[in-house]
Amino acid sequence: MDVLWEGLGEYSEDILRCIRCGFCNSVCPTSNASFSYMASKTSRGRLVMLQSILRKSSTINPLDREFRRLIDLCFGCRRCLEVCPAGVRIPQLMWRVRSLGGGGGRLRLMLKHYGAIEKTASRIHRLSNLILGSRLGRRILQTLAGIDSRAPFPRFSPPLESMIKQSPGQGRPLAYFIDIFTNYHESGLGLRVAGFLERLGYSVYAPVQREAGTPLLEEGLLEEAKQVARFNVSSLLREVERGARILTSSPAAYLALKRDYPELLGDEDSRVVAENTVDVLEIIREEVDGGRIRFREGRGRLIYHSSCFSKATGMSGLIIGLLESAGYSVEVREECCGIAGMWGMMREHYEEALDVGSRLFSKIRGADVPVVSQSETCRLQISHHAGVRTLHPFEALLGRIQSR
Amino acid sequence: MRYFSRVSENDLDFLEGLLGSRNLSTREEELIANSIDAYQGGFHKPEVVVWPEEPEQVSQILRYCNERRIPVYTRGGGTGLSGTTPIHGGVLISTVKMNRIIEVMDRDMQVRVQPGLIYERLNKELESHGLFFPPDPASASYCTIGGMVACNASGLKAVKYGTTRDYVLGFQAAFPDGSLRRVGFHTFKYSTGYDLVKMMVGSQGTLGVFTEITLRLRTLPEHAETIAAFFPSIRLATETIYHIVRRGLDVAALEFMDGWMTRAVSEFKGLGFPEAGAMILVESHGTRSAVRETLSRVRDIIREHGGFGIMEAEDEASRKRLWDARRGAYPATLRLAKTLVISDIIVPLSRLAEAVEKAYEIGDRHGVKVYCIGHFGDGNIHAHWCAEERGDEVLRKLHEANDEYSLYAISVGGAVSAEHGIGTEKKKFLRLQHPEAYDLLLKVKRMIDPNCILSPGIMFDVDEVIG
Repeated sequence: MDVLWEGLGEYSEDILRCIRCGFCNSVCPTSNASFSYMASKTSRGRLVMLQSILRKSSTINPLDREFRRLIDLCFGCRRCLEVCPAGVRIPQLMWRVRSLGGGGGRLRLMLKHYGAIEKTASRIHRLSNLILGSRLGRRILQTLAGIDSRAPFPRFSPPLESMIKQSPGQGRPLAYFIDIFTNYHESGLGLRVAGFLERLGYSVYAPVQREAGTPLLEEGLLEEAKQVARFNVSSLLREVERGARILTSSPAAYLALKRDYPELLGDEDSRVVAENTVDVLEIIREEVDGGRIRFREGRGRLIYHSSCFSKATGMSGLIIGLLESAGYSVEVREECCGIAGMWGMMREHYEEALDVGSRLFSKIRGADVPVVSQSETCRLQISHHAGVRTLHPFEALLGRIQSR
Repeated sequence: MRYFSRVSENDLDFLEGLLGSRNLSTREEELIANSIDAYQGGFHKPEVVVWPEEPEQVSQILRYCNERRIPVYTRGGGTGLSGTTPIHGGVLISTVKMNRIIEVMDRDMQVRVQPGLIYERLNKELESHGLFFPPDPASASYCTIGGMVACNASGLKAVKYGTTRDYVLGFQAAFPDGSLRRVGFHTFKYSTGYDLVKMMVGSQGTLGVFTEITLRLRTLPEHAETIAAFFPSIRLATETIYHIVRRGLDVAALEFMDGWMTRAVSEFKGLGFPEAGAMILVESHGTRSAVRETLSRVRDIIREHGGFGIMEAEDEASRKRLWDARRGAYPATLRLAKTLVISDIIVPLSRLAEAVEKAYEIGDRHGVKVYCIGHFGDGNIHAHWCAEERGDEVLRKLHEANDEYSLYAISVGGAVSAEHGIGTEKKKFLRLQHPEAYDLLLKVKRMIDPNCILSPGIMFDVDEVIG
């Protein structure tokens, strides 16, 4: 169908390049759930349906609501990118299929402004938490934003960006690209990251920035995502030119800067920002390798949950190595928890997310050791549904670092 | 007049009554998603997709469809490369809900599984028993055991471990008369008349539908090492392979890549391989000392034949790097070609060098690029016929070249397929492949499936069976 050819542009070629080997299905979280015995609910099935539309071999309408439901089962985990022999950019082309619908809708309107909404709610965090702590508040959230009232929703904290300095001071400059969750829900973690790095001689500050914009991509709001990307790249590039490196502590923020923005904008500026982006865990690795920090003696056990984005960024190997260097015996769990940012919180996906996550929850429920995950929403989902204590890898390492 | 019946509302009512509403679908999206596999063919939709959960349901579907003369196709992981899609419509049985390991018989070194179990999941489960099911096709992460048995799948390790057929000890299958029969034994050998087990392996859903399979297992090797070597010419590489096999060295893999493919993979994966006419990969499994002894003799043969740049991999990580080169062949080709057809011929060992040259000659004549890799230890060549353009005309040209290559394989005493199966792609060669036994094959098909409801159009044209 022409609308698909026109809407996908160069990504049409990706669809035609698919050889239908099924490798994506073997790693795709939603293709291994109990509902995905149906081929149309798997990753390869989505590609086959798109091929059939492009090759005029089916009557499927790409704008049809039911078809869109099937496309929405790709929540952008990026695991498929590691195994696809044909190099098909599956998540990226699904964003573009979603963008075909255009139009508004309440959810899309909310998403377009989610950064500003979160910022406001964080500024009045006590009131926000009071409202969202009530059943009525959750029902309102469900009605307005489509977030299932049973889903875990993080408490708001005061904005981190207002608690750390806005420009570099003494020390090696690190411009902190914070993203929504750390900024407005886990500012305590962000403060500990900044404080730790300051003690190592870095100067951590928060330059002008917006949200990373991953939910915009996932929803197919590509123009809005590009606007956000351009804003962030332009601001962060100024910091790089001043000699700063860009610091992240969230895998979504890291992935946006390292992969999504260069892919979305395709310009030199975003590539420069990507090259100068570093995660706090990579800095810890540098410091350990340089002998500037050491871990205390002692042993411990923990479970490491390799989140989809940690795998996609290649950070999982580094994290496991660091945790082992710090004396932990690490049990690695590769299964997806099903939350995928906001996907598993949404009313239409809540049950599906539980289905996807059930394989992980059954393995870790009742664990007597903490579950470490780099992803903030994974930690939220895991602690809520498996009833276990969760930590960011930085927190697990912090307790082991020998003070100088 | 149409031979097969269309699936009617009454038929759907029957199927829904048998399976429940969750276990069938006639939605366009689901039909399309099941209408094609990994073969470069078109879309062929079934009229309904069903997901039986019990063997008895499968046998009842077959009995009903046989009475109503409705085609029945079976699908596992849908990773087939020979074209086994429902070209006559009808009912598509998806085995994916029958995906359990029924019993690991550790002491007997056997396992009973349902057909929809994914190969890699089986071996992951068997790890704790120190056992494995060796065939290891390239589609390991998503193909099902039922599909492997149906096309007698194999892969990189067939030179030591053989093919799926060597491991199937027995099965339970449903037949068009509605019967559900167990065939085979729990022993590694038997002399008990016609071997119906082996006959069903590779039958691609044309004789029955597997509902349970018993597999023989092997002990996980204690140690494995891999070496790679480069050669100035194809002939020196194939001579080396011949002598490794001829001298009886216990190798578990013996792979070949021609010069172009070696270069393409090296560039794609950034491996820095030297310029060469061909490369080979050799792996050995066994005790550490036996592996060392075998590979030492392999190195001697390589040097005798002008091999150079020998790379050795003794630990898991370095072995993986070498195998990544081999596994990178297909992706490397896909990045350079928009249309690709892969051959699966097998020739006698003495013909290996000639067969590679023959591929180039055919390619030149058809104006088609061709590159060769393969499991040369057993004579299996995967020529990759490539084009930088897309379209029906281009695809036709590649198939023509591939067809000529298949005819060449038959002419030298080889076979048109070593591990992918006949499907719809190569059925035109089946009579040539079995010039004096083709009528017997047809008689077997007619005896078990006289109405030709099982996978019609696959392996045989319907007219031939019912004619």
